[in-house]
Amino acid sequence: MSGSTGAWSYEASFVMSRRIAGAGLAPFDRPRERWQVTLAVMPRLSLLLPMLVIALILACAAVPGWLAPFDPVDMDGDAILQAPNAVHWLGTDNLGRDVFSLLIYGARQSMLMGGCAVAIGGVVGGAIGLAAGFAGRSTDVVLMRLLDVWMSVPDILLAIVLAAALGASLPNTIIAVGLVTIPRYARVMRAQVIALKGRLFVEAARATGVHPVAIVLRHILPHTLSPMLVMATLGVASAILIGASLSFIGLGVIDDRPDWGFLLSQGRSYLAVAWWFATFPGLAITALVVSVSLLGDALRNRVDPRLRTDQ
Amino acid sequence: MPIFETNVATRRQFAGLLLAGAGLGALPAPGRAAPASRHGGELQFALDGAAVVKFVLDPHNSGFAPHNRVFRSIFDSLVVLLPDQSVGPWLARSWEINPEQTSYTFKLRTDVVFHDGTRFDAAAVKANLDRIKNPMNALVALPDIGPYAGADVLADDTVRITLSEPFAPLLRNLSKTTLGIVSPTALARYGDTVGQNPVGTGPFRFVSLAQGTEIRLAKNPDYQWAPPTASHAGPAYLDGIVFKNVPEESTRVAALQSRQVHAADSIPPQNVTAIKADPGLRLLQKELLNNNYTLYPNAAKAPWDDEEIRLAFRLSLDVDAIVRIIYLGTLPRAWAPLSPSMFGSGDRQLAGSWKPDYKRAAEILERKGWIAGNGGVREKDGKRLSVSFIDTQGNREKRLDVIQLVRRQLARSGFELTIDSQPAGTYVQKLSRNEFDLSGASQFAPDPDVLRRLHAPEGRDKSSVSKVADPEISQWLKDGTREGEAERRTELYAKVQRKLVEKSYAIPIYVLLYNIATTDAVSGINIDTHGFPHFHGAWLST
Amino acid sequence: MWSYLAYRLAGAVLVIYGAVTIVFLVLYWLPGDPAVLVAGESATAETIANVRRQLGTDQPLWQQYTTYISGLVQGNLGVSFSTREPVSGRLWAQVPSTLALTLLACGVAIVLGILLGVTAAVNKERWLDHLIQTLTVFVTAMPSFWLGILLIMVFSVGLRWLPAIGNGSIKQLVLPVACLGLIASGRLARMVRNSVLDVLHEPFVTTLRAKGLRERRVLFRHVLRNALIPVVTLLGMLIGELMSGAVVTETLFARQGVGRILVEAIGVKDIPVIQGVILFAAVFYVFINTLVDVSYVWIDRRVEL
Repeated sequence: MSGSTGAWSYEASFVMSRRIAGAGLAPFDRPRERWQVTLAVMPRLSLLLPMLVIALILACAAVPGWLAPFDPVDMDGDAILQAPNAVHWLGTDNLGRDVFSLLIYGARQSMLMGGCAVAIGGVVGGAIGLAAGFAGRSTDVVLMRLLDVWMSVPDILLAIVLAAALGASLPNTIIAVGLVTIPRYARVMRAQVIALKGRLFVEAARATGVHPVAIVLRHILPHTLSPMLVMATLGVASAILIGASLSFIGLGVIDDRPDWGFLLSQGRSYLAVAWWFATFPGLAITALVVSVSLLGDALRNRVDPRLRTDQ
Repeated sequence: MPIFETNVATRRQFAGLLLAGAGLGALPAPGRAAPASRHGGELQFALDGAAVVKFVLDPHNSGFAPHNRVFRSIFDSLVVLLPDQSVGPWLARSWEINPEQTSYTFKLRTDVVFHDGTRFDAAAVKANLDRIKNPMNALVALPDIGPYAGADVLADDTVRITLSEPFAPLLRNLSKTTLGIVSPTALARYGDTVGQNPVGTGPFRFVSLAQGTEIRLAKNPDYQWAPPTASHAGPAYLDGIVFKNVPEESTRVAALQSRQVHAADSIPPQNVTAIKADPGLRLLQKELLNNNYTLYPNAAKAPWDDEEIRLAFRLSLDVDAIVRIIYLGTLPRAWAPLSPSMFGSGDRQLAGSWKPDYKRAAEILERKGWIAGNGGVREKDGKRLSVSFIDTQGNREKRLDVIQLVRRQLARSGFELTIDSQPAGTYVQKLSRNEFDLSGASQFAPDPDVLRRLHAPEGRDKSSVSKVADPEISQWLKDGTREGEAERRTELYAKVQRKLVEKSYAIPIYVLLYNIATTDAVSGINIDTHGFPHFHGAWLST
Repeated sequence: MWSYLAYRLAGAVLVIYGAVTIVFLVLYWLPGDPAVLVAGESATAETIANVRRQLGTDQPLWQQYTTYISGLVQGNLGVSFSTREPVSGRLWAQVPSTLALTLLACGVAIVLGILLGVTAAVNKERWLDHLIQTLTVFVTAMPSFWLGILLIMVFSVGLRWLPAIGNGSIKQLVLPVACLGLIASGRLARMVRNSVLDVLHEPFVTTLRAKGLRERRVLFRHVLRNALIPVVTLLGMLIGELMSGAVVTETLFARQGVGRILVEAIGVKDIPVIQGVILFAAVFYVFINTLVDVSYVWIDRRVEL
């Protein structure tokens, strides 16, 4: 781990320990020093692993060719459904492809799907939520009704319609998943903004004639980052999971370098005879989602403005 | 012309013949002396209904195999297909065909009653056929009756079917589930919704339908008209059958393994070995009579209209390897379009008729100006040698796995295959508009005339998967429908199949063996000559 | 209050109308002629024209639309293109199963989610918190079909405690509800935890504590109530997600449900059935979210009507 991340996690742990000591629910009669020591070490460890995992996945996504022992396109007809062994570390699938190499190449597809979908959903959804919550009145009503209409159409329907109209491909799946997730970001953003608008410091800023844009940028947006970040981290997860569900229904992207969700979906009916085929893609998804979420939590602790103001 | 009488036809012991096509699997021995425990019980059957919720229990209006697997228990047919691919009597005791082969006169059984109490008679037959013929009804079974011109009720038990021209497939088609006889009373009463209120003469009557999940049937206690292929006369042993639609294959296997159901069909290859090895489970399997799953390069679209490009395409495929890898040795490779047991199949003649030849494929492509370009994909005049495969059914029978292997094998020769998986609506539209390079499909059928419906441009649907328009093939296929003599007919279809394969119009892939796995409590399920299950002789031991 | 409810009701009707309209337009734009799909492979041009007339798809778009909407106003959902049954009948056959699945799963998610979330928050950074965080992040990280298959493997095939397929009995609901509910509860628990921790930092909590209120009272009467605002928002969305999850779960567990007829209806462009399902989903969604919005008022008095 590089020095900068080390400092980062130390700072985060410091902030957290202050937070616990200052405002937590934990009984106050505990020896403060012991807690501080443990907490200073603990988060660093719990951060190290997820960051390593994410770094590894990003490396896979960036240069799969350097890391994969096989080309995942290669199908070895004499080595189908082989259990993990010295040659194929994670076994082979039903077409004789190396599962390990498939996972390495799949990282790119999955990261693309998760990242881009969150970007679409988060940015568009966040903007809508902010506008609705801050402007209030008729803007709020109109935007929220539109979102309601949007959300009342089940996700899968929108995805299927898009697949039907555009044809199944990675960009189209990303667009579908991204569009589907817009309302959830918008709703959370709006709820936060409304809650913040009623807070004293915002009302004070308003009363003193601060420009609305400045209020939004300086006083509201920073405070909404925390739930939005949590949403976004989980969003990467849910984008990959929605992609997997599309594969399950048979609307996945059938690429010769499939994403993890597609692999898991393919492997599911082989669980009884070749557990490795489905289990490793499943574990890869879990590892990514868990790591991203833990990282998101750490980020949240770092950027949460109240942690600073409280001190 | 042959005349069948009920008493002439032997009640065949079906067990030995069941395995004729496959030589695989263990089969409980049905048809022995009936133990006392043979009666009663309700069979729970997990059916692979695909992802389809809509169960249309109208035999005339579904070409979907899972529906037809249910039809056989509710509906009987005029004739039955015997294991030797000839036709035997069933609801019709006998028939006569005039020398011009345009008029079929059927003598009907007089003791048959529909589940709703309506008597089965000549008028009932006429009502069914007239319904199918009416183009306004737009029924799937319409092509099965071909040039049907009308039916005359000569007596209560005699009906004459008139054709506008000879139609040799008629008798075999009449044995199909799609020409099962529906109660005319029900037809009149339910109209378009007869598919939710099926009334036939079969060994089981319809009780209820929970759309998407369950079809309940109960024993027809009056049943006395089992076909000669049945294990016994008289009513079915079971009190009832519950067909549970379980589209997800791993769940279907799990439901059987957990004993929530007594039987499950379409067991995927990867589970077949485990089920065979399990002493508490049995596996039945039998070839489905069908036009095998076949790949069709789009002969009406460049560059596939060039016979040599199609040949290069075919020579790049190692079908043996595909079938071995995907189906794990559970299914045979197909050599001819028609499945091996079907009357007129060219499987034996065409076996070993070609081998993959990558060198020759490369030679052809080079000569035609397709030169290896970026990423190994061949190009000509800036156009990539890409193949858009169109599909709608998802990975049913592992067909998309087949295509993934095909894609890999083609890449070696410089083809670039993309998979265009579409909902049914888009799929049909793209087929009609000729917006694809490669298609693949299978059609269940007892008669080689299925080839005409695919490969003869006249009378073929616009959305046909095959775009073959070869005058010679069309002529042979046309002659085939008019030829009454079996041997000459076989010859015609042999020529058709040879040319389809040689000209690479059709690349047959695998022969489907329909299978059913059961617990050891189940005995006597038969898979008939068509490859559909019969539950008339099934029973549960306690 | 009453005027607020009336206002909400008008909004609800608008949302439903909007959803139905948008979907109608999208379906119209979707490729494929329903008449060809209904008439089948062997149909002649004449037959197709006839079917088109029967289905009413030969009329111009605006006319089809007005016919549909006016029918809807009179409570007529139309007739399925593919089975020619009334759509209401087809829907009613499937709706109870989907409702039972989604509502029970939602219940499981709420109870488990709040319980786990509050427990984790109260025990912040202790082993119980870590355990809950780990568990929730793991279930959240699982695609529903994957969790479902594992549940079937363990509880149906392995232990033979619970049936894998079908619907009708309570026993048959256990696995699918567990599958959907567990996944949703993980997400909810994380939200509750974060939200409770946020509220714990609010000055009013310190004030309450300073006033000498007991910790339990502070937590449940004041903190939880305020922490529930973003959680309740999530809950409203959860219903939509559960409905989508139902599409997968219903297929996996071979259950009845609107999710499955929806997927199939889209495939064959059975517009009246798709519209019916959308209508159901929209009504259900709007109902739940109206409850959610009303509950904001109850939970947080700072929200003005």
